[in-house]
Amino acid sequence: MNAPSPTPTKKYDLSFARWVYDNIDGGDRMALCMQCGTCSGSCPIGTQMDHGPRKLFMMIRAGMKEAVLTSNTLWNCVSCYNCVVRCPRKVPVAYILHDLATVAVREGYAEARNSDNARFAKAFWWSAAKYGRTDERLVTGKYYFSFGIGEGYKRGMANLPIAMGMIKTKRMHLGMPHKCSNTGELHKILAKAAEIEARDHGKQG
Amino acid sequence: MTKTMSYYPGCSSQASAVHLDTSLRAVMGKLGVQLRDVEDWNCCGASVGHIEGGHLGQAALSGRNLANAQAAGDEDFVTPCAACYLNSHYTNEKIRENPTVKAQVNEALAEAGKSYDGGLHVRHACEVIVNDIGMDKVKDQVTNPLTGMKIAGWVGCQTVRPFAKTDRGGMWETYDDPSFLDDFVTACGAEAVPFKGKTKCCGGSVSVMSPDKTLHLMKDILDEVKTSGAEAVVTPCPLCQTNLEMYQPEINKKFGTDFNFPVLFYSQLMAVAFGLEAKTDAALHQHLIPPVSLLSRAK
Repeated sequence: MNAPSPTPTKKYDLSFARWVYDNIDGGDRMALCMQCGTCSGSCPIGTQMDHGPRKLFMMIRAGMKEAVLTSNTLWNCVSCYNCVVRCPRKVPVAYILHDLATVAVREGYAEARNSDNARFAKAFWWSAAKYGRTDERLVTGKYYFSFGIGEGYKRGMANLPIAMGMIKTKRMHLGMPHKCSNTGELHKILAKAAEIEARDHGKQG
Repeated sequence: MTKTMSYYPGCSSQASAVHLDTSLRAVMGKLGVQLRDVEDWNCCGASVGHIEGGHLGQAALSGRNLANAQAAGDEDFVTPCAACYLNSHYTNEKIRENPTVKAQVNEALAEAGKSYDGGLHVRHACEVIVNDIGMDKVKDQVTNPLTGMKIAGWVGCQTVRPFAKTDRGGMWETYDDPSFLDDFVTACGAEAVPFKGKTKCCGGSVSVMSPDKTLHLMKDILDEVKTSGAEAVVTPCPLCQTNLEMYQPEINKKFGTDFNFPVLFYSQLMAVAFGLEAKTDAALHQHLIPPVSLLSRAK
Protein backbone atom coordinates (compact mmCIF):
# COMPACT_ATOMS: atom_id res chain seq x y z
CA MET A 1 0.00 0.00 0.00
CA ASN A 2 2.96 2.31 -0.49
CA ALA A 3 1.45 3.96 -3.53
CA PRO A 4 -0.85 6.71 -2.29
CA SER A 5 -4.56 6.08 -2.32
CA PRO A 6 -6.63 7.99 -4.90
CA THR A 7 -8.32 11.22 -3.85
CA PRO A 8 -11.94 11.47 -5.05
CA THR A 9 -12.55 14.58 -7.11
CA LYS A 10 -16.25 14.48 -7.92
CA LYS A 11 -19.56 13.45 -6.37
CA TYR A 12 -20.25 9.72 -6.12
CA ASP A 13 -16.55 9.02 -6.76
CA LEU A 14 -15.88 5.50 -5.53
CA SER A 15 -12.16 5.47 -6.32
CA PHE A 16 -11.04 5.68 -2.67
CA ALA A 17 -13.63 3.15 -1.51
CA ARG A 18 -12.52 0.71 -4.21
CA TRP A 19 -8.89 1.25 -3.26
CA VAL A 20 -9.77 0.41 0.36
CA TYR A 21 -11.67 -2.73 -0.73
CA ASP A 22 -8.60 -3.88 -2.70
CA ASN A 23 -5.69 -2.77 -0.51
CA ILE A 24 -6.76 -2.88 3.12
CA ASP A 25 -6.62 -6.06 5.18
CA GLY A 26 -10.27 -7.12 5.39
CA GLY A 27 -11.32 -4.34 3.01
CA ASP A 28 -12.93 -6.85 0.66
CA ARG A 29 -15.56 -7.56 3.32
CA MET A 30 -16.15 -3.88 4.04
CA ALA A 31 -18.51 -3.72 1.08
CA LEU A 32 -20.83 -5.98 3.10
CA CYS A 33 -21.26 -3.43 5.90
CA MET A 34 -24.99 -2.79 6.40
CA GLN A 35 -24.52 0.16 8.77
CA CYS A 36 -26.07 -1.59 11.78
CA GLY A 37 -23.68 0.09 14.23
CA THR A 38 -22.89 -3.03 16.28
CA CYS A 39 -19.19 -2.12 15.95
CA SER A 40 -19.51 1.43 17.24
CA GLY A 41 -21.86 0.27 20.00
CA SER A 42 -19.42 -2.46 21.06
CA CYS A 43 -16.41 -0.17 21.25
CA PRO A 44 -15.11 0.46 24.80
CA ILE A 45 -14.07 4.03 23.99
CA GLY A 46 -16.33 4.60 21.00
CA THR A 47 -17.75 7.66 22.74
CA GLN A 48 -14.32 9.28 22.46
CA MET A 49 -14.13 8.71 18.71
CA ASP A 50 -15.07 11.53 16.38
CA HIS A 51 -16.95 9.14 14.11
CA GLY A 52 -16.83 5.50 15.16
CA PRO A 53 -16.30 2.65 12.70
CA ARG A 54 -19.84 2.53 11.31
CA LYS A 55 -19.81 6.16 10.24
CA LEU A 56 -16.21 5.94 9.09
CA PHE A 57 -17.09 3.10 6.73
CA MET A 58 -19.91 5.18 5.23
CA MET A 59 -17.50 8.10 4.85
CA ILE A 60 -15.16 5.82 2.90
CA ARG A 61 -18.01 4.95 0.56
CA ALA A 62 -18.84 8.64 0.27
CA GLY A 63 -15.29 9.33 -0.91
CA MET A 64 -14.36 11.45 2.12
CA LYS A 65 -10.74 10.34 2.03
CA GLU A 66 -9.16 13.21 3.93
CA ALA A 67 -11.78 13.19 6.69
CA VAL A 68 -11.27 9.43 7.06
CA LEU A 69 -7.48 9.54 7.21
CA THR A 70 -7.45 12.47 9.67
CA SER A 71 -10.13 10.90 11.88
CA ASN A 72 -9.24 10.06 15.50
CA THR A 73 -11.33 6.88 15.12
CA LEU A 74 -8.18 5.25 13.73
CA TRP A 75 -6.26 6.10 16.90
CA ASN A 76 -8.76 5.21 19.59
CA CYS A 77 -8.94 1.51 18.76
CA VAL A 78 -7.99 -0.41 21.91
CA SER A 79 -7.71 -3.69 19.93
CA CYS A 80 -10.33 -5.51 22.03
CA TYR A 81 -11.82 -7.16 18.90
CA ASN A 82 -15.41 -6.86 20.15
CA CYS A 83 -16.35 -5.34 16.78
CA VAL A 84 -14.67 -8.18 14.87
CA VAL A 85 -16.48 -10.99 16.68
CA ARG A 86 -19.85 -9.24 16.89
CA CYS A 87 -20.21 -7.96 13.32
CA PRO A 88 -23.19 -9.80 11.81
CA ARG A 89 -21.61 -9.48 8.36
CA LYS A 90 -18.19 -10.67 9.53
CA VAL A 91 -16.45 -7.45 8.59
CA PRO A 92 -13.07 -7.52 10.37
CA VAL A 93 -13.54 -3.97 11.67
CA ALA A 94 -10.47 -3.60 13.93
CA TYR A 95 -8.15 -4.96 11.24
CA ILE A 96 -9.51 -2.40 8.78
CA LEU A 97 -8.97 0.44 11.29
CA HIS A 98 -5.41 -0.77 11.94
CA ASP A 99 -4.54 -0.83 8.25
CA LEU A 100 -6.15 2.56 7.64
CA ALA A 101 -3.97 3.90 10.47
CA THR A 102 -0.89 2.68 8.60
CA VAL A 103 -2.13 4.37 5.42
CA ALA A 104 -2.80 7.65 7.23
CA VAL A 105 0.75 7.73 8.64
CA ARG A 106 2.37 6.75 5.33
CA GLU A 107 0.44 9.37 3.39
CA GLY A 108 1.75 11.95 5.83
CA TYR A 109 -1.40 13.37 7.44
CA ALA A 110 -0.32 15.55 10.36
CA GLU A 111 -3.26 14.43 12.53
CA ALA A 112 -2.09 10.86 12.05
CA ARG A 113 1.62 11.45 12.55
CA ASN A 114 1.03 13.51 15.68
CA SER A 115 -1.36 11.01 17.24
CA ASP A 116 -0.29 9.25 20.44
CA ASN A 117 -0.49 5.87 18.70
CA ALA A 118 1.70 6.85 15.77
CA ARG A 119 4.33 8.29 18.14
CA PHE A 120 4.14 5.20 20.32
CA ALA A 121 4.23 2.88 17.30
CA LYS A 122 7.35 4.62 16.02
CA ALA A 123 9.14 4.09 19.34
CA PHE A 124 7.83 0.53 19.59
CA TRP A 125 8.88 -0.49 16.08
CA TRP A 126 12.29 1.10 16.60
CA SER A 127 12.93 -1.23 19.55
CA ALA A 128 11.32 -4.33 18.02
CA ALA A 129 13.15 -3.97 14.69
CA LYS A 130 16.52 -2.88 16.10
CA TYR A 131 16.82 -5.30 19.02
CA GLY A 132 14.22 -7.90 18.08
CA ARG A 133 12.66 -7.25 21.49
CA THR A 134 10.50 -4.55 22.99
CA ASP A 135 12.33 -2.67 25.70
CA GLU A 136 9.51 -1.15 27.76
CA ARG A 137 11.86 1.47 29.26
CA LEU A 138 13.22 2.75 25.97
CA VAL A 139 9.86 2.60 24.19
CA THR A 140 8.05 4.66 26.82
CA GLY A 141 11.02 7.04 27.13
CA LYS A 142 11.25 7.59 23.38
CA TYR A 143 7.48 8.02 23.24
CA TYR A 144 7.40 10.61 26.05
CA PHE A 145 10.21 12.63 24.52
CA SER A 146 8.52 12.61 21.09
CA PHE A 147 6.39 15.42 22.56
CA GLY A 148 9.50 17.54 23.22
CA ILE A 149 12.06 17.77 25.99
CA GLY A 150 9.87 19.60 28.51
CA GLU A 151 6.82 17.39 27.99
CA GLY A 152 8.99 14.27 27.95
CA TYR A 153 10.51 15.21 31.28
CA LYS A 154 7.07 15.99 32.72
CA ARG A 155 5.61 12.65 31.60
CA GLY A 156 8.68 10.78 32.77
CA MET A 157 8.47 12.36 36.22
CA ALA A 158 4.72 11.67 36.45
CA ASN A 159 5.40 7.99 35.80
CA LEU A 160 8.43 7.78 38.06
CA PRO A 161 6.56 6.07 40.95
CA ILE A 162 5.42 3.30 38.57
CA ALA A 163 8.92 2.93 37.10
CA MET A 164 10.48 2.75 40.58
CA GLY A 165 7.94 0.12 41.57
CA MET A 166 8.70 -1.92 38.46
CA ILE A 167 12.45 -1.72 39.13
CA LYS A 168 11.96 -2.70 42.79
CA THR A 169 9.86 -5.74 41.82
CA LYS A 170 12.39 -6.69 39.11
CA ARG A 171 9.93 -6.13 36.28
CA MET A 172 12.11 -3.45 34.76
CA HIS A 173 15.81 -4.14 34.49
CA LEU A 174 18.73 -1.75 34.59
CA GLY A 175 21.45 -2.00 31.98
CA MET A 176 21.54 -2.90 28.31
CA PRO A 177 18.33 -3.73 26.41
CA HIS A 178 17.38 -7.37 25.95
CA LYS A 179 17.98 -8.37 22.35
CA CYS A 180 17.95 -11.27 19.92
CA SER A 181 21.35 -12.82 19.37
CA ASN A 182 20.93 -12.72 15.60
CA THR A 183 19.66 -9.19 15.02
CA GLY A 184 21.47 -8.99 11.66
CA GLU A 185 19.27 -11.78 10.34
CA LEU A 186 16.14 -10.05 11.61
CA HIS A 187 17.16 -6.75 9.99
CA LYS A 188 17.58 -8.50 6.63
CA ILE A 189 14.15 -10.15 6.90
CA LEU A 190 12.41 -6.90 7.84
CA ALA A 191 14.16 -4.90 5.09
CA LYS A 192 13.03 -7.49 2.55
CA ALA A 193 9.47 -7.45 3.95
CA ALA A 194 9.31 -3.67 3.47
CA GLU A 195 10.66 -4.04 -0.08
CA ILE A 196 8.07 -6.73 -0.94
CA GLU A 197 5.24 -4.69 0.53
CA ALA A 198 6.23 -1.73 -1.68
CA ARG A 199 6.63 -3.93 -4.74
CA ASP A 200 3.47 -6.04 -4.32
CA HIS A 201 1.29 -3.07 -3.47
CA GLY A 202 -2.30 -4.23 -3.30
CA LYS A 203 -1.53 -7.91 -3.27
CA GLN A 204 -2.20 -9.02 0.27
CA GLY A 205 -5.03 -11.27 -0.79
CA MET B 1 4.37 -38.78 30.64
CA THR B 2 6.09 -35.62 29.56
CA LYS B 3 4.98 -33.82 26.44
CA THR B 4 7.22 -31.27 24.70
CA MET B 5 5.85 -28.06 23.24
CA SER B 6 7.45 -25.11 21.50
CA TYR B 7 7.33 -22.11 23.82
CA TYR B 8 7.25 -18.44 22.79
CA PRO B 9 7.43 -16.36 25.98
CA GLY B 10 7.27 -12.90 24.36
CA CYS B 11 8.99 -9.66 25.35
CA SER B 12 6.96 -9.09 28.51
CA SER B 13 8.47 -12.32 29.89
CA GLN B 14 11.71 -10.41 30.39
CA ALA B 15 10.06 -7.30 31.80
CA SER B 16 6.60 -6.39 33.10
CA ALA B 17 5.29 -9.97 33.11
CA VAL B 18 8.36 -11.89 34.23
CA HIS B 19 6.19 -13.32 37.03
CA LEU B 20 3.89 -14.94 34.44
CA ASP B 21 6.82 -16.61 32.73
CA THR B 22 8.40 -17.84 35.97
CA SER B 23 5.18 -19.27 37.41
CA LEU B 24 4.00 -20.81 34.13
CA ARG B 25 7.28 -22.65 33.60
CA ALA B 26 7.04 -24.03 37.15
CA VAL B 27 3.40 -25.06 36.75
CA MET B 28 3.82 -26.63 33.30
CA GLY B 29 6.67 -28.74 34.65
CA LYS B 30 4.33 -30.14 37.30
CA LEU B 31 1.65 -30.74 34.67
CA GLY B 32 3.97 -32.81 32.51
CA VAL B 33 4.60 -30.31 29.72
CA GLN B 34 8.16 -29.51 28.81
CA LEU B 35 8.45 -26.05 27.29
CA ARG B 36 11.18 -25.78 24.67
CA ASP B 37 11.92 -22.11 24.00
CA VAL B 38 11.72 -20.96 20.38
CA GLU B 39 15.30 -20.36 19.28
CA ASP B 40 16.26 -16.67 19.41
CA TRP B 41 12.61 -15.52 19.34
CA ASN B 42 11.73 -11.92 18.51
CA CYS B 43 8.91 -9.46 19.30
CA CYS B 44 5.51 -10.12 17.65
CA GLY B 45 4.82 -6.42 17.00
CA ALA B 46 1.95 -6.36 19.53
CA SER B 47 -0.96 -3.98 18.79
CA VAL B 48 1.03 -1.20 17.11
CA GLY B 49 3.79 -2.81 15.01
CA HIS B 50 1.81 -2.58 11.77
CA ILE B 51 1.54 1.22 11.98
CA GLU B 52 5.26 1.73 11.46
CA GLY B 53 6.33 -1.66 10.10
CA GLY B 54 3.42 -2.36 7.76
CA HIS B 55 1.35 -5.52 7.61
CA LEU B 56 4.12 -7.53 6.01
CA GLY B 57 6.73 -6.33 8.50
CA GLN B 58 4.40 -7.42 11.28
CA ALA B 59 3.83 -10.79 9.57
CA ALA B 60 7.58 -11.25 9.04
CA LEU B 61 8.19 -10.90 12.79
CA SER B 62 5.86 -13.82 13.53
CA GLY B 63 7.13 -15.63 10.44
CA ARG B 64 10.68 -15.73 11.80
CA ASN B 65 9.49 -17.10 15.15
CA LEU B 66 7.39 -19.77 13.45
CA ALA B 67 10.26 -20.73 11.13
CA ASN B 68 12.66 -21.05 14.06
CA ALA B 69 10.12 -23.13 15.98
CA GLN B 70 9.48 -25.46 13.05
CA ALA B 71 13.21 -25.95 12.50
CA ALA B 72 13.30 -27.50 15.98
CA GLY B 73 10.25 -29.72 15.52
CA ASP B 74 6.55 -29.93 14.65
CA GLU B 75 5.25 -29.63 18.21
CA ASP B 76 2.52 -27.03 18.85
CA PHE B 77 3.68 -23.44 19.31
CA VAL B 78 2.47 -22.23 22.71
CA THR B 79 2.48 -18.71 24.11
CA PRO B 80 1.07 -17.31 27.37
CA CYS B 81 0.79 -13.71 26.08
CA ALA B 82 -2.49 -12.46 24.61
CA ALA B 83 -0.87 -10.20 22.01
CA CYS B 84 1.78 -12.79 21.07
CA TYR B 85 -1.01 -15.32 20.63
CA LEU B 86 -3.08 -12.94 18.52
CA ASN B 87 -0.25 -12.02 16.16
CA SER B 88 1.37 -15.45 15.90
CA HIS B 89 -1.95 -17.23 15.39
CA TYR B 90 -3.19 -14.63 12.91
CA THR B 91 -0.03 -14.78 10.81
CA ASN B 92 0.06 -18.56 10.96
CA GLU B 93 -3.53 -18.87 9.73
CA LYS B 94 -2.89 -16.27 7.01
CA ILE B 95 0.10 -18.28 5.79
CA ARG B 96 -2.05 -21.42 5.72
CA GLU B 97 -5.01 -19.82 3.94
CA ASN B 98 -3.45 -17.25 1.68
CA PRO B 99 -0.82 -18.34 -0.88
CA THR B 100 0.17 -14.71 -1.57
CA VAL B 101 0.98 -13.99 2.09
CA LYS B 102 2.76 -17.34 2.37
CA ALA B 103 4.95 -16.50 -0.64
CA GLN B 104 5.64 -12.97 0.61
CA VAL B 105 6.61 -14.04 4.14
CA ASN B 106 8.80 -16.82 2.76
CA GLU B 107 10.50 -14.46 0.32
CA ALA B 108 11.43 -12.25 3.31
CA LEU B 109 12.52 -15.24 5.42
CA ALA B 110 14.70 -16.50 2.54
CA GLU B 111 16.96 -13.50 3.11
CA ALA B 112 18.11 -15.34 6.21
CA GLY B 113 17.96 -18.80 4.64
CA LYS B 114 14.75 -19.63 6.48
CA SER B 115 11.32 -20.87 5.42
CA TYR B 116 8.00 -21.72 6.97
CA ASP B 117 5.19 -23.79 5.45
CA GLY B 118 2.35 -23.08 7.90
CA GLY B 119 2.58 -26.55 9.41
CA LEU B 120 2.50 -25.55 13.09
CA HIS B 121 -0.49 -24.91 15.34
CA VAL B 122 -0.26 -21.72 17.42
CA ARG B 123 -2.01 -22.10 20.76
CA HIS B 124 -2.60 -20.16 23.95
CA ALA B 125 -1.16 -21.66 27.13
CA CYS B 126 -4.55 -21.58 28.91
CA GLU B 127 -6.14 -23.54 26.10
CA VAL B 128 -3.38 -26.14 26.32
CA ILE B 129 -4.10 -26.52 30.04
CA VAL B 130 -7.83 -26.94 29.38
CA ASN B 131 -7.73 -29.20 26.34
CA ASP B 132 -4.44 -31.12 26.44
CA ILE B 133 -3.72 -31.39 30.14
CA GLY B 134 -7.29 -31.30 31.47
CA MET B 135 -8.70 -29.96 34.70
CA ASP B 136 -8.52 -33.35 36.42
CA LYS B 137 -4.76 -33.34 36.11
CA VAL B 138 -4.63 -29.79 37.46
CA LYS B 139 -6.72 -30.84 40.48
CA ASP B 140 -4.45 -33.85 41.02
CA GLN B 141 -1.50 -31.51 41.57
CA VAL B 142 -3.20 -29.41 44.25
CA THR B 143 -1.61 -30.11 47.63
CA ASN B 144 -2.20 -26.69 49.15
CA PRO B 145 -5.82 -25.76 48.33
CA LEU B 146 -6.60 -22.05 48.53
CA THR B 147 -9.72 -22.66 50.60
CA GLY B 148 -11.70 -19.54 51.46
CA MET B 149 -9.99 -17.21 48.98
CA LYS B 150 -12.43 -15.29 46.81
CA ILE B 151 -11.07 -14.49 43.36
CA ALA B 152 -12.48 -12.55 40.42
CA GLY B 153 -11.54 -14.19 37.11
CA TRP B 154 -10.87 -11.52 34.49
CA VAL B 155 -9.88 -12.84 31.07
CA GLY B 156 -9.54 -9.58 29.11
CA CYS B 157 -9.76 -9.43 25.32
CA GLN B 158 -7.21 -11.03 23.07
CA THR B 159 -6.96 -14.39 24.83
CA VAL B 160 -10.46 -15.14 23.51
CA ARG B 161 -11.05 -12.49 20.84
CA PRO B 162 -11.15 -12.75 17.93
CA PHE B 163 -10.26 -16.46 17.79
CA ALA B 164 -12.79 -18.09 20.13
CA LYS B 165 -15.16 -20.38 18.30
CA THR B 166 -12.85 -20.67 15.27
CA ASP B 167 -11.70 -24.12 14.15
CA ARG B 168 -8.08 -23.81 15.23
CA GLY B 169 -8.37 -20.87 17.56
CA GLY B 170 -8.68 -22.03 21.09
CA MET B 171 -11.88 -24.03 21.20
CA TRP B 172 -13.30 -21.66 23.81
CA GLU B 173 -17.05 -21.93 23.97
CA THR B 174 -17.58 -18.16 23.91
CA TYR B 175 -15.72 -14.91 23.56
CA ASP B 176 -17.94 -13.02 26.03
CA ASP B 177 -18.20 -15.24 29.09
CA PRO B 178 -15.58 -17.99 29.05
CA SER B 179 -15.46 -20.27 32.08
CA PHE B 180 -11.89 -21.57 31.94
CA LEU B 181 -10.43 -19.02 34.32
CA ASP B 182 -13.10 -19.74 36.94
CA ASP B 183 -12.35 -23.44 36.46
CA PHE B 184 -8.67 -22.76 37.19
CA VAL B 185 -9.59 -20.81 40.34
CA THR B 186 -11.95 -23.52 41.55
CA ALA B 187 -9.44 -26.28 40.79
CA CYS B 188 -6.97 -24.47 43.05
CA GLY B 189 -9.50 -24.70 45.88
CA ALA B 190 -10.47 -21.02 45.87
CA GLU B 191 -13.89 -19.55 45.20
CA ALA B 192 -14.52 -17.96 41.79
CA VAL B 193 -16.93 -15.09 42.44
CA PRO B 194 -19.51 -14.38 39.73
CA PHE B 195 -17.91 -11.74 37.51
CA LYS B 196 -19.80 -10.23 34.59
CA GLY B 197 -16.92 -8.15 33.27
CA LYS B 198 -14.88 -11.22 32.34
CA THR B 199 -13.88 -9.99 28.92
CA LYS B 200 -13.98 -6.25 29.51
CA CYS B 201 -11.11 -4.28 28.01
CA CYS B 202 -8.45 -2.50 30.10
CA GLY B 203 -7.57 -0.23 27.18
CA GLY B 204 -4.60 -2.33 26.12
CA SER B 205 -1.72 -0.37 24.65
CA VAL B 206 -3.85 2.80 24.59
CA SER B 207 -3.71 2.67 28.40
CA VAL B 208 0.08 2.67 28.20
CA MET B 209 0.28 5.68 25.88
CA SER B 210 -2.84 7.69 26.80
CA PRO B 211 -4.22 6.53 30.18
CA ASP B 212 -6.53 9.56 30.34
CA LYS B 213 -8.66 7.90 27.65
CA THR B 214 -9.02 4.59 29.45
CA LEU B 215 -8.72 4.90 33.24
CA HIS B 216 -12.53 4.73 33.47
CA LEU B 217 -12.48 1.32 31.76
CA MET B 218 -10.23 -0.06 34.48
CA LYS B 219 -12.31 1.66 37.15
CA ASP B 220 -15.41 -0.17 35.85
CA ILE B 221 -13.58 -3.48 36.18
CA LEU B 222 -12.34 -2.65 39.70
CA ASP B 223 -15.82 -1.48 40.74
CA GLU B 224 -17.17 -4.92 39.93
CA VAL B 225 -14.25 -6.62 41.70
CA LYS B 226 -15.17 -4.62 44.79
CA THR B 227 -18.91 -5.39 44.72
CA SER B 228 -18.18 -9.06 43.98
CA GLY B 229 -16.47 -9.44 47.34
CA ALA B 230 -13.28 -10.78 45.76
CA GLU B 231 -9.97 -10.10 47.48
CA ALA B 232 -7.92 -10.35 44.30
CA VAL B 233 -8.19 -10.48 40.52
CA VAL B 234 -6.69 -13.23 38.39
CA THR B 235 -5.93 -12.83 34.68
CA PRO B 236 -4.03 -14.63 31.91
CA CYS B 237 -2.94 -11.46 30.06
CA PRO B 238 0.41 -9.72 30.70
CA LEU B 239 -0.79 -6.26 29.72
CA CYS B 240 -4.09 -6.62 31.62
CA GLN B 241 -2.10 -7.52 34.74
CA THR B 242 0.26 -4.60 34.45
CA ASN B 243 -2.38 -2.02 33.51
CA LEU B 244 -4.89 -2.98 36.19
CA GLU B 245 -2.21 -3.13 38.85
CA MET B 246 -0.07 -0.09 38.07
CA TYR B 247 -2.93 2.32 37.46
CA GLN B 248 -4.84 1.73 40.71
CA PRO B 249 -3.20 4.71 42.49
CA GLU B 250 -4.00 6.93 39.48
CA ILE B 251 -7.59 5.67 39.37
CA ASN B 252 -7.99 6.33 43.09
CA LYS B 253 -6.70 9.86 42.58
CA LYS B 254 -8.97 10.56 39.63
CA PHE B 255 -12.18 8.96 40.90
CA GLY B 256 -11.79 9.20 44.70
CA THR B 257 -11.82 5.40 45.07
CA ASP B 258 -9.70 3.28 47.43
CA PHE B 259 -8.80 0.27 45.28
CA ASN B 260 -5.86 -1.83 46.37
CA PHE B 261 -6.55 -5.21 44.75
CA PRO B 262 -3.71 -7.59 43.95
CA VAL B 263 -3.83 -8.66 40.28
CA LEU B 264 -2.43 -12.15 39.82
CA PHE B 265 -1.74 -14.58 37.02
CA TYR B 266 -3.62 -17.91 37.05
CA SER B 267 -0.23 -19.62 36.95
CA GLN B 268 0.75 -17.98 40.26
CA LEU B 269 -2.43 -19.29 41.90
CA MET B 270 -1.63 -22.75 40.55
CA ALA B 271 1.97 -22.56 41.71
CA VAL B 272 0.87 -21.81 45.28
CA ALA B 273 -1.89 -24.44 45.19
CA PHE B 274 0.60 -27.01 43.83
CA GLY B 275 2.76 -26.33 46.90
CA LEU B 276 5.56 -24.77 44.88
CA GLU B 277 7.92 -22.16 46.28
CA ALA B 278 6.51 -18.63 46.84
CA LYS B 279 9.38 -16.70 45.34
CA THR B 280 11.27 -18.84 42.84
CA ASP B 281 8.18 -20.59 41.43
CA ALA B 282 5.13 -18.39 42.11
CA ALA B 283 7.06 -15.08 41.86
CA LEU B 284 4.72 -13.51 44.39
CA HIS B 285 7.31 -10.87 45.32
CA GLN B 286 6.97 -9.21 41.91
CA HIS B 287 3.76 -7.29 42.50
CA LEU B 288 3.31 -3.56 42.93
CA ILE B 289 0.31 -4.44 45.13
CA PRO B 290 1.53 -7.38 47.25
CA PRO B 291 -0.85 -10.38 47.30
CA VAL B 292 -0.72 -10.58 51.10
CA SER B 293 -3.30 -13.32 51.54
CA LEU B 294 -1.81 -15.58 48.87
CA LEU B 295 1.68 -14.99 50.29
CA SER B 296 0.51 -16.14 53.72
CA ARG B 297 -0.73 -19.39 52.18
CA ALA B 298 2.37 -20.09 50.11
CA LYS B 299 5.04 -22.59 51.07
